[in-house]
Amino acid sequence: MDGVQLQETENGKGALITVSGRLTVRFADQFSPKFRDLEARDGPLQVDISDADRIDTVGAWVLYRLRSVRQEAGKETEIVGASDDMEQLIQQIGDAKLDTRMRPEKRGGPLGLLERFGGHIVEGTLQLGAFLAFLGVTMMALGRTVLHPRRLRGAAIFRQAETVGVEALGIIGLMSFLVGIVIAQQGAVQLRQFGAEVFVINLVGRITFRELGVLMTAIMVAGRSGSAFAAQLGSMKLAEEIDAMRTIGMPPIEVLVLPRLLAAVLAMPLLAFYGSIMAIGGGTLVSWLQLGIPPATFISRLQEVVPITDVWVGLIKAPVFGLIIAVAGCFQGLQVEGNAEEVGRRTTAAVVQAIFLVIVLDAFFAVFFSMLGWL
Amino acid sequence: MTDGNDQSARPVAINGRKGEAVIEVKNLVNRFGDQTVHEDLDLTVKRGEIIGVVGGSGTGKTVLMRSILSLQHFASGEISIFGKPVTGLAEGEELEVRRQFGVLFQNGALFSTLTVAENVQVPLREFFHMQQDLMDEIAAYKLGLTGLGPEAAPKYPSELSGGMRKRAALARALALDPRLLFLDEPTAGLDPVGAAAFDNLILDLKESLGLTVFLITHDLDTLYAICDRVAVLADKKVLAAAPIKELLEIDHPWIQEYFHGPRGRAALAGADANQQMA
Repeated sequence: MDGVQLQETENGKGALITVSGRLTVRFADQFSPKFRDLEARDGPLQVDISDADRIDTVGAWVLYRLRSVRQEAGKETEIVGASDDMEQLIQQIGDAKLDTRMRPEKRGGPLGLLERFGGHIVEGTLQLGAFLAFLGVTMMALGRTVLHPRRLRGAAIFRQAETVGVEALGIIGLMSFLVGIVIAQQGAVQLRQFGAEVFVINLVGRITFRELGVLMTAIMVAGRSGSAFAAQLGSMKLAEEIDAMRTIGMPPIEVLVLPRLLAAVLAMPLLAFYGSIMAIGGGTLVSWLQLGIPPATFISRLQEVVPITDVWVGLIKAPVFGLIIAVAGCFQGLQVEGNAEEVGRRTTAAVVQAIFLVIVLDAFFAVFFSMLGWL
Repeated sequence: MTDGNDQSARPVAINGRKGEAVIEVKNLVNRFGDQTVHEDLDLTVKRGEIIGVVGGSGTGKTVLMRSILSLQHFASGEISIFGKPVTGLAEGEELEVRRQFGVLFQNGALFSTLTVAENVQVPLREFFHMQQDLMDEIAAYKLGLTGLGPEAAPKYPSELSGGMRKRAALARALALDPRLLFLDEPTAGLDPVGAAAFDNLILDLKESLGLTVFLITHDLDTLYAICDRVAVLADKKVLAAAPIKELLEIDHPWIQEYFHGPRGRAALAGADANQQMA
């Protein structure tokens, strides 16, 4: 490598360093430490740069640093052989140097840990408040649209309902069908020990309509659409599209959030019912192939053992889950601030929050319906 | 030292001769679907000059820059930087060429998850092994060169104003001491004082570092103040690339309108006034 050579001679007054080679950014790691050593050295010093092939701003900076550090320490230092332009560059670079912190301040140690912990708690509390506020604002906007139905954006709702509902049919159908197969198959293995295989129909029928159909669907919708809502609104927020809407006089809640929310609320019961039916289909298939129960028998038996309230339980829960998923997604999307990483973080938060809330609400519903006597 | 005045022995900031071609574009064709943006476009940028690229909206100024930077596939033609074709280079060679130019994108394109100082250090970190304290010093003077204050360095791009973001992006473009600088509308969105300071900064850098600058702009003041030559993009090619005084003589409706419109005349008057003062 034709890097940088420093040659030292004595010239009566003190040390003379002759620099040759290229004082450029490429070789900075090589020559910067050598110049640091020179900075620390005692006695007068002359640096001759007339032999240097090329000096860029990094070279100029290192020369400036050498001179200024040494002169501050009262050591005689001279840089010779510099053209006027070079001398000007050295001065320009030196003047430009900012006296500044490079990184945002961060507290380390146990105190820093405590600070971060406290920060998380404050952040969490504020987020909870903001979430409730957002829910309230959304409900008020919903109320206004109910009073003035002309403000409802029908086209947007249907477009969203298509992506949330119709486009999810394939994956939700397949998933529910497989879950139905698994429940029937596992149930049959256990119930056979009691000679009660026929109760597989009760198991599949009740668990899918009441719980699994709607729960699995909600999780899939949260993963497919809740995340999409957060990412869409988050990117729009970053690109100031949301601000643009506000200035034009389009309230973002009404334009962006309500269509998504209504689409999710509409699509969820339909998807949940469809998912339950597909799961029943899976159960029917296993019962037929493994237990020899013909599909016709399965269906008629299903009508006897599954109370209609089970269907209602599923259908009442579904729109509420849809609402929660949409609100969590839109809320997190609109919380995005600053940078691209935030979009990812908020998207993850939207899905986690939605699934968590769905399961918490499901537990509440279970208690509620049992108090109603819908066992 | 007695031989300190010897011209030949002086270190210079940049190697190479003035006037040799740094960028050469030949017969460039760019198409998007049926729409042809460039048809047999030729352009040569010489070492050590600031070339301004102007043209109406949609004439493909940015497309031309992206083609030169090989960010965009072009239909046909040849582009070379420092005598090397931009397409079909081996990976190592391509990096070597890329290291020699800095790019300032229209909206800054700072990495949003890094602080301003870290943004400037990204190219240094990527290409060289360097001690952290030296990198911090380099970032500190680069940011100072572009006229940013000390409060900007530890901030994130989203915490900066548009003008400051541009300056920070310029600092990043200058991080590797490039020989060639691409600027896409550097003064758009800056206040007149800031824009004039930016012009001076680029002129300064060109003179002290021997930079070659490819500058896309709509700012007539910038054209008059710092450009050695101006290339006019119209009718899908470079209509003319000449010093601005010569362009004024060319009889083409767009050029006439552009330079002799009210804004053009005002900028010319301003430039003349500046020259008389100087």
